Amino acid sequence: MQLEIEIKFSLNGRMVQTKVPPTMTTLVMLRENFDLTGGKLACGEGECGACTVKIDDRTINSCLMFAVDCDGREVQTIEGLGGVAGLEIMQQAFVDHGAIQCGYCMPGMIMQARYVVDQNTDKSHQLSRDDIARGLEGNVCRCSGYTKVVDAVAAVILDEASA
Amino acid sequence: MSSIKMGKAIQTSPVFEKKTIIGQRVTKPDAPDKASGRTVYINDMVLPRMLFGKILHCDRVHAKIISIDTSAAKALAGVHAVLTGYDIPELKFGPTRDNRTLKAGKVRCIRDEVAAVAAESEQIAAEAIGLIKVEYEDLPPVFSPTEALKQGAPVVHEDHPDNRSLSYEFSHGDVAAAEVNSDIVIEHEFEVPYVTHCCMGPGCVIADFETNGKLTMYSQTQYPYNYKMDLAPAVGIHPGDIRVIQPPVGGAFGSKLDVYPFEPICALLSKAVGRPVKLTFSREEEFINSPTRQPAEFKIRSGVNKDGTLTFRSVDCLMNNGAYTSWGPTTPVIQMRTFTGHFRVPVVEYKGLAAYTNSVYAGSFRGYGNVQATFVTASVMDMLAEAVGMDPIAFRLKNAQKPGEVTPQGSKLDDCKLRECIEIAAEKTDFLKKYKLYAQDRVNAGRIKHGIGIATSIHNAGGAKIHKSDGCGSILKLDDYARATLITGASEIGQGIDAVLSQIVMEELGIPMSDITIVNNDTALGPWDVGVHASRTTFVTGNSALRAAKAARKQILRAAARQSNVSAEQMDLREGHVVQADNGVSIIKLDKLLRQMHFAEEPELVMVSEYYEPDSELEDKNHVGNLSATWAHGAYVAEVEVDTETGEVKVVKMTAVQDVGRVINRLGIEGQMEGGISVSLGYALSEQLQIKDGKVLNPNFRDYKVPTAPETPEIELHFVESDCKASPLGCKGIAELPAIIPAPAIANAVYNAIGVRFFAPPLTPEKVARALHDQVPDNTQ
Amino acid sequence: MINIENYHRPSSISEAVQLLQQGEATIVAGGTDLTPQIEAGARQFESTLINIQRVEEMRGISVTSGRYRIGGLTTVTDILESTTLAADIPVLVEAADHFASPQIRNAATLAGNLCNASPAGDMCIPLLLLDAQVELVSWIDESVSTRRLALCDFFIGPGKTVLQKNELLTAVEFKQPVAGFSASFQKSGPRPALEISTVAMGFAGVLEAGVLRGVRIAIGAVAPTPLRATATELVLEGRSLNESAIAQAVEAVQEEVKPIDDVRASAWYRTHLSGVYIRRALALFQGVTAHAA
Repeated sequence: MQLEIEIKFSLNGRMVQTKVPPTMTTLVMLRENFDLTGGKLACGEGECGACTVKIDDRTINSCLMFAVDCDGREVQTIEGLGGVAGLEIMQQAFVDHGAIQCGYCMPGMIMQARYVVDQNTDKSHQLSRDDIARGLEGNVCRCSGYTKVVDAVAAVILDEASA
Repeated sequence: MSSIKMGKAIQTSPVFEKKTIIGQRVTKPDAPDKASGRTVYINDMVLPRMLFGKILHCDRVHAKIISIDTSAAKALAGVHAVLTGYDIPELKFGPTRDNRTLKAGKVRCIRDEVAAVAAESEQIAAEAIGLIKVEYEDLPPVFSPTEALKQGAPVVHEDHPDNRSLSYEFSHGDVAAAEVNSDIVIEHEFEVPYVTHCCMGPGCVIADFETNGKLTMYSQTQYPYNYKMDLAPAVGIHPGDIRVIQPPVGGAFGSKLDVYPFEPICALLSKAVGRPVKLTFSREEEFINSPTRQPAEFKIRSGVNKDGTLTFRSVDCLMNNGAYTSWGPTTPVIQMRTFTGHFRVPVVEYKGLAAYTNSVYAGSFRGYGNVQATFVTASVMDMLAEAVGMDPIAFRLKNAQKPGEVTPQGSKLDDCKLRECIEIAAEKTDFLKKYKLYAQDRVNAGRIKHGIGIATSIHNAGGAKIHKSDGCGSILKLDDYARATLITGASEIGQGIDAVLSQIVMEELGIPMSDITIVNNDTALGPWDVGVHASRTTFVTGNSALRAAKAARKQILRAAARQSNVSAEQMDLREGHVVQADNGVSIIKLDKLLRQMHFAEEPELVMVSEYYEPDSELEDKNHVGNLSATWAHGAYVAEVEVDTETGEVKVVKMTAVQDVGRVINRLGIEGQMEGGISVSLGYALSEQLQIKDGKVLNPNFRDYKVPTAPETPEIELHFVESDCKASPLGCKGIAELPAIIPAPAIANAVYNAIGVRFFAPPLTPEKVARALHDQVPDNTQ
Repeated sequence: MINIENYHRPSSISEAVQLLQQGEATIVAGGTDLTPQIEAGARQFESTLINIQRVEEMRGISVTSGRYRIGGLTTVTDILESTTLAADIPVLVEAADHFASPQIRNAATLAGNLCNASPAGDMCIPLLLLDAQVELVSWIDESVSTRRLALCDFFIGPGKTVLQKNELLTAVEFKQPVAGFSASFQKSGPRPALEISTVAMGFAGVLEAGVLRGVRIAIGAVAPTPLRATATELVLEGRSLNESAIAQAVEAVQEEVKPIDDVRASAWYRTHLSGVYIRRALALFQGVTAHAA
């Protein structure tokens, strides 16, 4: 009998409860226990960022983090970014700027892009294209060549600065 | 929309101006779901009663299978089937029928599949795989194609005792005579590495054998219709009994243009258990088992006269076939076109040979052989220019073909824009000024050296007729609400054909994008297409959709004309209305007209089907024929900084000039170009699947370095719009040249910076540092 | 496949080490190194897992009378964002900035990076410059027992440390560097981060009356463990920073490193880079100290 641990946490704004084996990763739990398949298992080693989700106020590779450590925390996945309200501004910018081709890496890329912009609380310093690129250094995309990804993030920064 | 008064009539009719969607920036219809995480990729799919498959790959490179013990695996709870090559008939498949699904007798490379399991979970399947015991007797291996061709070399396939796989020969003119008459002849050897696609979605397939013996494959394939033909012999059923469904995929880039053993193995597992079976590669499995780009060694001799006229080009290409034959060793078909037809070379000769070894095998990868050819030719062009004392621009312009020329292999360059591409690239980058300045700066002290380099190439841009037909079918129907469904053979793998086809339908039928549905993921529904490859999809499937849309339009206008005093020729379709073409005044709303047609005494549905075959030719046995309906050129300029101490090369800027015929979706074309450049950047500087003694040493993103955002250069794009006559849409295929040309432009720029020529990509920091350490740079230029 | 029989989530060091005392267990925290190692089959879970993520006393950065303490569970991001460290020990922040990717930095713990004992572990380098000590805690004779060890004595081989099976690395400590201390961190590769070092080099020292004092050189990925290049340090110690000293340092460091050929680089290139980096480190040092003077 596989040992399972009961955990309770906030998932995309709703409290949830589930049982997980102590070795299960957060990614597997999200995909299998909650059908949240936006985050992908693309390398399983933290080298590609396709599984990026936000835990409390930090993004992490959910393929590396143990699911039990979600206990008591706030977990946000791509599905919870815009949610039923539709696309959040970062998601919409990725669509509008043509950043999405096959799209497999995009849930992770968009979560990280949102984090990079949110992390910069110093409004006197506007993130440059190089800053954005560095913020996305842990996210691999094989289709876009990153230019339109950075375009999209830069546009969101401009939009939010003028808002 | 505005209104004008119609003569004495009291009511006003809306008026619609003519607008065009072609050439605009159009977002992809599938992008919102992809951005929201809603899209269910094949890797995300779960079917009821589905089991999980896993393959035991051998840990040998060449060995006899003495025994396989599957008893412990079979006894494991949750295991439903364990198969080995001894449980199934010997069914050969592959382009030359030299591969089989599960191996029996012997294994020939590290990828070889010796057993497969279907179980209730991936964990159980993995555990079962670990319980299978295989006893081998090692055989002497051979890894290099040169060694493999020697007498007495270990034999990979007993029915090919000389280890020779595919070979190619083409010649035009007398090379020996041309050589004697050349002022300067240079000879060089190049070697290009194994690189791999790195699709973000790892290999995945779901096979579902029905009770009636029919097979449904949920597949990542890029060529669903011929996939049936290629898969059938491996499974032992009729191709007609296979249905292929293509869920969204995480990239393809040419890697899914063949049938690979894991797919029929999954089908055989499904047959064995009577349930759907899903088989997914881990990233490590993906690195080791998915096809690579074809590695090769080239010997190239080229001649030139003192005035800069090319005299001849002679190329020997030796390919490592690996243990089995996929599309890799067939890439000379495209590669040869560049060697023989890029620039005006009066005398050309090409020999290509693939030798079986115990290494992994290659498939097709964005650029199909031309990546390798262009690295070689573009490097040699710079060397020849230097040898005759010309700059790289003048030398290329001197030898660039003019519109209407035909290459020795019969590629018709009707609307050749090579010259324009080179001129624009040189002008936009201030090439010659920087080139001279950087070359002079080489002798000066300084850790960082700047360089600029150009490369050009040619590629098929109107499909490539490698099959009896290179066409595509389209079925277009409109419903009672003027909503259109285009059922097309075109495969969507992320490149954005859904948007392009929607634009074409919009343009002809005057309906909004949101009113168009593209259906293209099921061979039971879709009309035939040869597949998404060869930069052909916009060209071939776009022109097919255009035919269908034009046919539907004709039917609609004919019906409208029947109930109006305006003739069909004087009508247009705009914004959901049939209008008068001259003034845009609405005659009738389109949905209303469609309902009238539908519910008339003689009911009529708008439902058309068309097939488009590009005007191209199969090669004859001498490799002559106009393989593609049109050809396109590009000229790319790289600007680099080289750290002469660490050897690190940073690409600062890439300027791309390319003949695209006509821009259809500006956003899409930019995305394809930028993405292609990124792939080529990796080829130039960092990517190499390191294979030693047949084993893959770096099967992960840590050590196989695909470019990331911080390494991405500034990119400037210029589109030359030749309005291609061979294409009713005016467009050309565009998506491979960006993955082909940048790498040699970077290598040429590095030469400009440090005076060292590299004959084997990637130009890793170590390779550059080593070269600078070992040689005294040539500062004479 | 290992069946996990016991799973513990201690909330204090004392509780954690008592659990460790009960027998073999795998300690889990950020998971950034452990998960891929398990996945690759390079490591296996013990049947008892001790997840230490809730041991709050192992988190955080503090300074007490000139002594810095970084809890073992402090993440690399915590170090990167620490205003205290940015002001006082910028070399640590610099190394953190070159560490993996933002997502990994957000999860990876300092103790994890040290205990993983990769010869290329980026965080070891600045800590070696600082003569850091690791605090190792165990449960002996019914009480918490603590020993401190110089970090340079902690590593014994690739993936191997002197950490005993009943011990937990709870914190890293180091003294406030002396006045005038200047340190640098360099890492190879065209990427700022997401790159396992081919070579990483830390250099530190003080310029006293025109001569180098307290020279520390630490190099990653050139030996079985992160290397303190003590022979090269000696070459430079007490020297004035002129071309002859630099040339001798280059020669010494290239002699002292013992790299291997692997999939990432050859021994030749690692040796070559060591020479390049020591020269650059000294130039940087010269620049900073000249500016300060």
